[in-house]
Amino acid sequence: MDTFLTYTALGLVVGAIYAIAASGLVLTYTTSGIFNFAHGAQAMIGAFTFYQARVVWELPTWLALVVVLGVLGPGMGWLLHTLIMRRLRDTEIVTRVVVTVAVLLGLVSLSQWVWNPQEGRVPPMLFGADSTVDLLGVTLRYHQVLCVVIAAAIAVALWWLFNRTRIGVLMRAAVDDPELLKLSGHDPDRISASAWMIGSTLAVLAGVLVTPVMGGTLEANALTLLVVDAFAAALFGRLRSIPLTFVGAVVLGLGSTYLVGYAPAEWTWVGNFQRALPMVVLFVVLLLLPHERLRGTATRSRERYQTPPLPRAALWAVACVIGLVAFGGLISEARVGTLLVGLSFAVIALSVVLLTGYAGELNLAPLGFAAVATLVAYHVGSDATAADPRLSLTGLVAGVAVAAITGALVALPALRLRGLYLALATLAFSGIVSAMLLRDTTPRTLFGHTFVIFPNGNILMPPLEVGPLDLADATTFLWVLSTLFATLGLGVVALRNSSYGRRLAAMKDSPAAAAMLGQRLMVLKLGVFALSTGIAGLGGIFMSMAVVSVSAETFGFTVSLSLVMLTVVCGIGYVSGALVAGLIAGAGITSLQLVLGDIALTHPEYRDTFDIVHHLLLVATALVGIGVANGPSGFLHDVFERQRGLARVPFVRWGGAAVQVALLLAAYAGLLGPALLLFVSVVLWSLLPAVATAWAPDRARPLPLELEGITTPNTLALRQRIDRELRIETEAGHARA
Amino acid sequence: MPVLETHGVTVTFGGNVALDDVSIAVRPGEVTGLIGPNGAGKTTLFNVITGMQPVTSGGVRFQDRDVTRWSPGRRGRAGMARTFQRLELFLSLSVRDNVRVAGDIVRSNTRRRFDVAARTEQVLARTGLLDVADLDVSALPTGRARVVEVARALMTEPVLLLLDEPASGQTESESETFAELLLEIAGAGTAVCLVEHDLPLVMQTCTTIHVLDHGRLIASGTPAEVQASPAVIEAYIGQEATA
Ligand SMILES: Nc1ncnc2c1ncn2[C@@H]1O[C@H](COP(=O)(O)OP(=O)(O)OP(=O)(O)O)[C@@H](O)[C@H]1O
Ligand SMILES: [Mg+2]
Repeated sequence: MDTFLTYTALGLVVGAIYAIAASGLVLTYTTSGIFNFAHGAQAMIGAFTFYQARVVWELPTWLALVVVLGVLGPGMGWLLHTLIMRRLRDTEIVTRVVVTVAVLLGLVSLSQWVWNPQEGRVPPMLFGADSTVDLLGVTLRYHQVLCVVIAAAIAVALWWLFNRTRIGVLMRAAVDDPELLKLSGHDPDRISASAWMIGSTLAVLAGVLVTPVMGGTLEANALTLLVVDAFAAALFGRLRSIPLTFVGAVVLGLGSTYLVGYAPAEWTWVGNFQRALPMVVLFVVLLLLPHERLRGTATRSRERYQTPPLPRAALWAVACVIGLVAFGGLISEARVGTLLVGLSFAVIALSVVLLTGYAGELNLAPLGFAAVATLVAYHVGSDATAADPRLSLTGLVAGVAVAAITGALVALPALRLRGLYLALATLAFSGIVSAMLLRDTTPRTLFGHTFVIFPNGNILMPPLEVGPLDLADATTFLWVLSTLFATLGLGVVALRNSSYGRRLAAMKDSPAAAAMLGQRLMVLKLGVFALSTGIAGLGGIFMSMAVVSVSAETFGFTVSLSLVMLTVVCGIGYVSGALVAGLIAGAGITSLQLVLGDIALTHPEYRDTFDIVHHLLLVATALVGIGVANGPSGFLHDVFERQRGLARVPFVRWGGAAVQVALLLAAYAGLLGPALLLFVSVVLWSLLPAVATAWAPDRARPLPLELEGITTPNTLALRQRIDRELRIETEAGHARA
Repeated sequence: MPVLETHGVTVTFGGNVALDDVSIAVRPGEVTGLIGPNGAGKTTLFNVITGMQPVTSGGVRFQDRDVTRWSPGRRGRAGMARTFQRLELFLSLSVRDNVRVAGDIVRSNTRRRFDVAARTEQVLARTGLLDVADLDVSALPTGRARVVEVARALMTEPVLLLLDEPASGQTESESETFAELLLEIAGAGTAVCLVEHDLPLVMQTCTTIHVLDHGRLIASGTPAEVQASPAVIEAYIGQEATA
């Protein structure tokens, strides 16, 4: 009985923390319509700042709490709202998700800059670990009791806020009808700003409380994933109801302590399962949620992509293979390895283009599926006892197939619901993979085979060998991988131009109209999700071969999120967007760091400067992601728009191509290094449109806005442009806000 | 024998009664009009018929089957098609592909094979959209964009075609051509239900007209009967007086 009471009390404490985190999430979501993926990252920043103030600066506890809860929390909320979230009205879910994900990544890289992740930091309990109290025979620390008291106080306060105060009632109205609020003389912005301030403060509070309860040191990634736990709790209330959210939090908290307390000792996986419990519960709740009603969305999306016709795409595919292999010949074998990693990331990013760019659905954890594919391929397709092992084609195929099937299983519960839920389900899946599979280092027996899922937390992925092709050779690997990317890219373009691709576009643009025409939306979504996770798995196996030694960090969720974000930044509707994003995520950042590292070795006096540049680079990447709100079509879209001007003056284009080939030859002759070659090529192609305009000026002058629609047709596109330029808020915008 | 019947359909939003005990019938081979002032509940009734709005009470029968609990997709596959008052076009596709994708969907759902591309060209020609077929739909004026929605619906060869203000935004000559198209569609045996504020168009094409006001059915009958009904005159004049 005593142990039961102990587990119950501990479960309530854990549940209280989930409740605090989840109620902040629900608060910002209901008032602004934006799901804050950075909620956990904010908690993380709060936890680290509290540690800094309390332990490093040795401030008294009350002062440290004032710094964190009184200044940091509200300040962060106000900044987020003013600088970023306010601008997200009238945007698509993809844009909203990517922007908050970018904030998450920015906060994580900022924290790793300020607080070296190698150091272990054990945060103190409030009131210290020695102040205890006995309740019904259970000994609890003050800190733990405080968690429950605070959660209860917050529950009462939020209920009172929403039901008894004017601003609370207005907060509820803010998301449903901002126009109405304005008419009644209120400023929806101010209301939403206060919601963000309260939400952030709750996040920070959860961050300060959580680590001492769970034990261990401050871990940036684990704290950041608190958003998934909070989401699981919030799902009980469908992201709206605060009381049900508290119920969910308590269920999660009790579940996790009972699990550890009462599971049989021979269930060695329970420890890992406990970490994954909120994510597993999330899937179960998703399954139980009722079907959402279809309604006209009248999406007036701002993104536009042109898919090239197949012959032109084929030409580009050939140019891409030749260019990549030619460039590979210029760099050292070690750097070819980096290029290979970049290219395999590009294959993974291709899965994002298919899923998000074409079908409008989100997968935030492509690398989770890459991990599954890698593990399956490794166990099925390689003989670990061989001296110089190779991966077989069977292993590759099995890995891809299992990734696709897993994709379908993950998508299944969320298919009936909004895109946001699917995005969160994928994030939860990635949490389950890293908590259970990638930590599973004890031998297991399955169908009579005994094996270790992730031996020593690190596997050496053998290179693929198919007939005469042996990828142990870097040049062959580069040929195979660039051909694979080009072929898949071509396939994706062909798909987009096919009946299937048109149906995907229809589903993305107007689910209501597509369903009315008879399209089975769930079947289509399920299929495209499985296809895209299959591609992610394929890219993942190649990535593991390119990296050779893979560990849990290789597939970390921050890597996934950066890749997805970069793909959107580059151009989510374009195969080239996947290529550039993959190269930047997989190779670009690494090579820049290598180049900087080289300089730092020869000039040790600059080491600190380079360290700063390195961190700035990571933070800057996140800032670029936040900029997506302004150009949701991606920067390659603008590049293509400008290059289109070249069509009028073909010889400038061909001249450019000739110069490019000459540069490549010069590089082979040793006249310029690979880095310079890249730089000069980029400059060349960005200058060409200007050259073309100088050569043959574009005579057509743009019509002034006030004359549009009088002599020219009054079209939907024109009306959208007018709305945008005159900043008229449209009906459609409100419907989605 | 009507293709579609609604029985005592009632829909409330909170305390607001959008539809109150509405029973109408739509017969094949003719155009049935559904008119009424703004906010009368016409679009809501279409949403009920197509399954996009659950009823508070009442039911919908389609081709002699009770479809009240069916999903929109299932009703679509059974032969319903509609257009949307607030256009629901596929903005990333061209005009031709907007029409064609409807054929793609039908073909993916049935075993029956047909030439989607050929049918697309037929429908484009019939609806007079050939000259703009290669444009982005967002480049079309509203009047023609609405015709694209009609063309898209026609691709499914529907038994019942529900049109929500298809002529708003059309020029006078466009709306005359449109009236002919409507009569031709109905003449081929399709049941057409038309919501429209352009009364001359309604009087010219409809055999039967239902009039809604504040969610209630206030008159049903031939154009002449409806025009003579005191309740209808009251509803329309009342609206004018407050407008
Ligand atoms: N989703 C909804 N939630 C709440 N009220 C709604 C909703 N949809 C419609 N209504 C209300 O139901 C009533 C009927 O609306 P409906 O759109 O069906 O009218 P309508 O006859 O189509 O008008 P119009 O000619 O302007 O298109 C209106 O009062 C409207 O405000
Ligand atoms: Mg209407």
